[in-house]
Amino acid sequence: MTLALKAIPLPLLLYVLGTVASSTPETFHEELTLRPLRDGKVISRFSFSTLLGGAIPRNPDVLDAGNTPQHYSLFPLGLGQVLREYAATELHLSLNSGKWEYDRWGYPDEQEVGTGAQLWAWIGDGGQATVDERWKGLRNALAGLFCASIGSLDDQRTTSPTLAFAPEGDLPAWPLPHHLRHATLPSENVCTENLTPFLKLLPCKGLSGLASLLNPHRLFDADWHGMSVHVSWRARRGVEVRLAFQAVFDPVRMSTDRKRDWSLQSIFDRTIPKACPIAESSRIAVELPKNEAYAVDPRPTSVQDGVAVYDTSQVNDLDVSLRWPLESVFSYPLDHPAEPLSQVSVQRTLKGTSQSRGQLSVSIANSLPSEIQAIYLETMPWHVQFYLHTLKIVVDGQARDDLLSDIAYTPPEPHGRPALLESVLTLPPNSTTHLDMEVMKSFLRYTEHPPDAQRGWDLPPAVLVNFTPGGRRQRLYTRTLLVDLATPDFSMPYNVIIMSCTLIALTFGMVFNLMTRKFVVVRLKKGEKASKEKAD
Amino acid sequence: MSLLSRFRKGGGEDGARVRIQRRKALAAVLWKRLPVIRAALLLVGLLWMVIIPLPMLSQGTYIDENALQPAQVTTYWNWDEVHRADRYLDQIEEWLQRNITSIEKADLLVTEFQKLGIPAATQHYSYTYGDKVVQGANAYAVFSSPRASGAEAMVISASWLSRAGEGDGTLNRRGVPTVLALAAFLKSKFTTHLYYSLWSKDIIFVLSDGYMEGMHAWLSTYHGSVQSNLHADPLIPSSGVIWTALNIDYPGHSFSHIGLFLEGLNGRLPNQDLANSVQLISRYTGGVPVLLYDQFDPSEFPSKDVLGLPAWLPESLKSNREFKEFAYRAKNVLRHVGYQGRGVASGVHGLFHQFRIDAITLYGEPAPGPHGFHAMGRVVESSLRTTNNLLERLHASFFFYIMTSPHTFLKIGKYLPSAILISVSMMFGGIGEWVGAGWRARAQERGEEKESEKSGSREVKWERQSRPLLPAVYIVLYTHAFGLAVFLALTRTPTLSPAITLPLFMLCLTSPMPILYSLRSLARPSSQVAIPTILKSTTLCLASTVISVTSVLNFSLAAITAVLLGIPLTLASSSPMLPVRTVKYLAYACLAFGWMLGLPGEMQRALWSWEILGVWFAPFVCLVYAPLVMQAGLVCLLPM
Repeated sequence: MTLALKAIPLPLLLYVLGTVASSTPETFHEELTLRPLRDGKVISRFSFSTLLGGAIPRNPDVLDAGNTPQHYSLFPLGLGQVLREYAATELHLSLNSGKWEYDRWGYPDEQEVGTGAQLWAWIGDGGQATVDERWKGLRNALAGLFCASIGSLDDQRTTSPTLAFAPEGDLPAWPLPHHLRHATLPSENVCTENLTPFLKLLPCKGLSGLASLLNPHRLFDADWHGMSVHVSWRARRGVEVRLAFQAVFDPVRMSTDRKRDWSLQSIFDRTIPKACPIAESSRIAVELPKNEAYAVDPRPTSVQDGVAVYDTSQVNDLDVSLRWPLESVFSYPLDHPAEPLSQVSVQRTLKGTSQSRGQLSVSIANSLPSEIQAIYLETMPWHVQFYLHTLKIVVDGQARDDLLSDIAYTPPEPHGRPALLESVLTLPPNSTTHLDMEVMKSFLRYTEHPPDAQRGWDLPPAVLVNFTPGGRRQRLYTRTLLVDLATPDFSMPYNVIIMSCTLIALTFGMVFNLMTRKFVVVRLKKGEKASKEKAD
Repeated sequence: MSLLSRFRKGGGEDGARVRIQRRKALAAVLWKRLPVIRAALLLVGLLWMVIIPLPMLSQGTYIDENALQPAQVTTYWNWDEVHRADRYLDQIEEWLQRNITSIEKADLLVTEFQKLGIPAATQHYSYTYGDKVVQGANAYAVFSSPRASGAEAMVISASWLSRAGEGDGTLNRRGVPTVLALAAFLKSKFTTHLYYSLWSKDIIFVLSDGYMEGMHAWLSTYHGSVQSNLHADPLIPSSGVIWTALNIDYPGHSFSHIGLFLEGLNGRLPNQDLANSVQLISRYTGGVPVLLYDQFDPSEFPSKDVLGLPAWLPESLKSNREFKEFAYRAKNVLRHVGYQGRGVASGVHGLFHQFRIDAITLYGEPAPGPHGFHAMGRVVESSLRTTNNLLERLHASFFFYIMTSPHTFLKIGKYLPSAILISVSMMFGGIGEWVGAGWRARAQERGEEKESEKSGSREVKWERQSRPLLPAVYIVLYTHAFGLAVFLALTRTPTLSPAITLPLFMLCLTSPMPILYSLRSLARPSSQVAIPTILKSTTLCLASTVISVTSVLNFSLAAITAVLLGIPLTLASSSPMLPVRTVKYLAYACLAFGWMLGLPGEMQRALWSWEILGVWFAPFVCLVYAPLVMQAGLVCLLPM
């Protein structure tokens, strides 16, 4: 073999590699950021991005043309085929478990942290298949690819909130516009069966590089964990696929001596055995504590702005650790932090106890000394219908209906489509804004109840999009809600059948009796008169 | 067609005649025996109520929801936690010695939660009741369980005052440290880190101020149903739908038994599965025997007199095992009827039921020993694991029961008929009176009478008479309106002293004056004759309906109403003599409104429960019960 290679003239070999490199310049970057928090927890975020240089999304007009072969060396083929088949320009899928606590953990690095599954895609119009047909195909294909029930994100859950979910990359300037499709499934959780296909999309799988730290036993035991897939197109660069995994660990509960020291070994129960050889760049960034004595080990490659960076493109069995050597036991911070980790905090609850009506109340606290403009998005399955005319906005005990502007509202269609409320909300400085809406809980058809345990219906999180001081759009997801709808006692169909059959039989008997009976006047003879009905 | 015509001819004219005669004869027999039937139904109903505690009617409890799996887990609560609870107790004792205010106390409790890294906050509240203001501060903490969406939650609570003495100031001295130590245990015990992340629901710790009022303020704020006389802070750390709640009440130094308290406001009961689970866990995981309420079982203490039987009972009966068993169960049933009928909660847990939360109180029966924090912690830990298993709401049919002992109960079919039979008897009476009011015996001519005597048949001439329904309905409406006026007068009066209730009682006695006056002005005296009968008919029908409807909502209330109304309403009748009529009327009026003078404490409590907790007992008595008895009194008072 070596002999044969040597036999090929050197210029020819260079030419072959060069054409391969120039036609599809695929690059792979991986990064792990670790951020210790005030309450002793550690946020870890893995980001694996593959760039298909020079590629452009498929125009739906050419969907009917024959398939051209797809050759990728680093770009995940499974995902690439799905994108080509349904001509999706931009796609974001996230599967999360847990509730992100903005107040204590700050803004996440991956901002899609809504509980459950969320999928949104910008799809170009044109061609034979409509946008909705391709959205349906995309859902089902991704459900198969990631072993998740995204397929059930049907029309009853799909909305188009274009303000809150603006494209993150560029959209090609085709004659027909792009459309947004967005759906959430709050009861879907992420687990091992989703991680395995996720790892298969990576060029080094879970064998080397940073991905070797993705140990399901530890990841899925974390206080919060979620994975996401982002596909976007940048006009100058090409199509980028970014796979991310984010988790919040609690080293305090894992340590025997109640310390918050952590290392890769203690968090993931693994170290990095070897580097991923095809990664263009690979690094670990550890955010260092401020105003505290700490020890970070081993020595970082560089330290900038309080962030220790390790270059992991050439490593051998690396274990990074951060310790607080002066601290014998970690004690939780007592009073409310002087500087809240997120400027805006949202709390949404569904009040009321009846099975027919309730009240949706959202309170948004703005701790900044300046006014904030935010996009408020509420998507509700039709099971819960809110009345827009009952919307009340109260700030410091005063009604402030002027704070809400640019209201876009799509009313729900029973048994059909969800409601969508998207509007711009102005949050006064240093205040808490309360939004209250009355809601009506629907009465379902008996076939619409799922055959599962009756725990209620999950409602998707509300989304608040505000602009961080850096000018970045930041999406905040509220907690999901559980609503109890009127539910028949399904364990008693037998009783119901008996009851209704008896009633029908009685009714039939009476009607039949009346219909077949002949009414005649009967004269009672004097002698056989029965005892008088009014005896005493 | 031929088949149909043959079918039509079927019996023929003779057959039809026989059938009609048979039907008439049956109706006549029923009509003749109606008083006997009524009395029989009434007596059987009353007797049934008496035999409810019989062991043969009860059956053993069982777990209906398979997911609960009570007492199947390894518990990790151990002596470290007992030590920690003791330290918390020392701290609380120290606060008590410093005589701190409730607001300071709530702040200190919140600090304890924050030291554990659990988000916590205080909630200040104030009620205005009459001219009084009740203030306090709750402390609560929300343990967001890892990996869970926070859409569901469980509550572990302890009120500052214990139910021992119904909140008369006995402190829930060891209940509060139990909750704090449990929070510390769930958050930070290392041996539990393996199952730290297995909670499927958030756990909310509530340390409420006062006895009922603190928890009521917290719960109504949580569910957004704050009444007008309550001002409470909003709850900042929040969580999702609360499914179950355990209230820990541990006032003494140690305890010998865990008592289960179930009854909630307005007669609501928690799902029986919850009580049964805790009962099993307490016995098998905690090793603690279980009581219903704080009533000891005589079979456990054969030598002691734990029932408090009256002294006049013969000794042979007192030592009879069967009788003691019956008396024990009867005491439990009476206790249950006392709570449920009056609509009062037997503990702080009772406030939860109105929000569709299954809740019970675990009461550590004060004793010199042998159990303490160790047993209580294990029971609560295991119960939490059990309720954590719940994937769905507990079964809908498990809310109707009467517990006769911690491990026996009566199903709805075994007790409901007692009240229904009384109600049926009253309904028969009402319909009978209505039919009877439509006929009048006509004086017969002498000759005719003799002839009939000769022939041996008692022939009486009956003729129809009009039934003046409207005057009776006006009287009914008037009495209910008067009841409403009395109720408003009682609730609007800031302090109820005998100086107020005595004139009010006298006013109640004279309330029929306008009726008597307006009836006198009625032009037709002939129709006036039937008014007492019609009134009795409507009263009986109304009372019967009230009893049967209430029986499925609050059986104890229906039973009490049936016992109080059954015989008096059936026996109410007018008399030709005015003194007899007046005496009868006064007796009924005392039955209707006598509680104003006889039970002032009970009245105060019922009014307080209505104003603060929204218990319907006081309005029920004023608007439904008293007017019905007054109507019976009017039946007696009106001239025949």
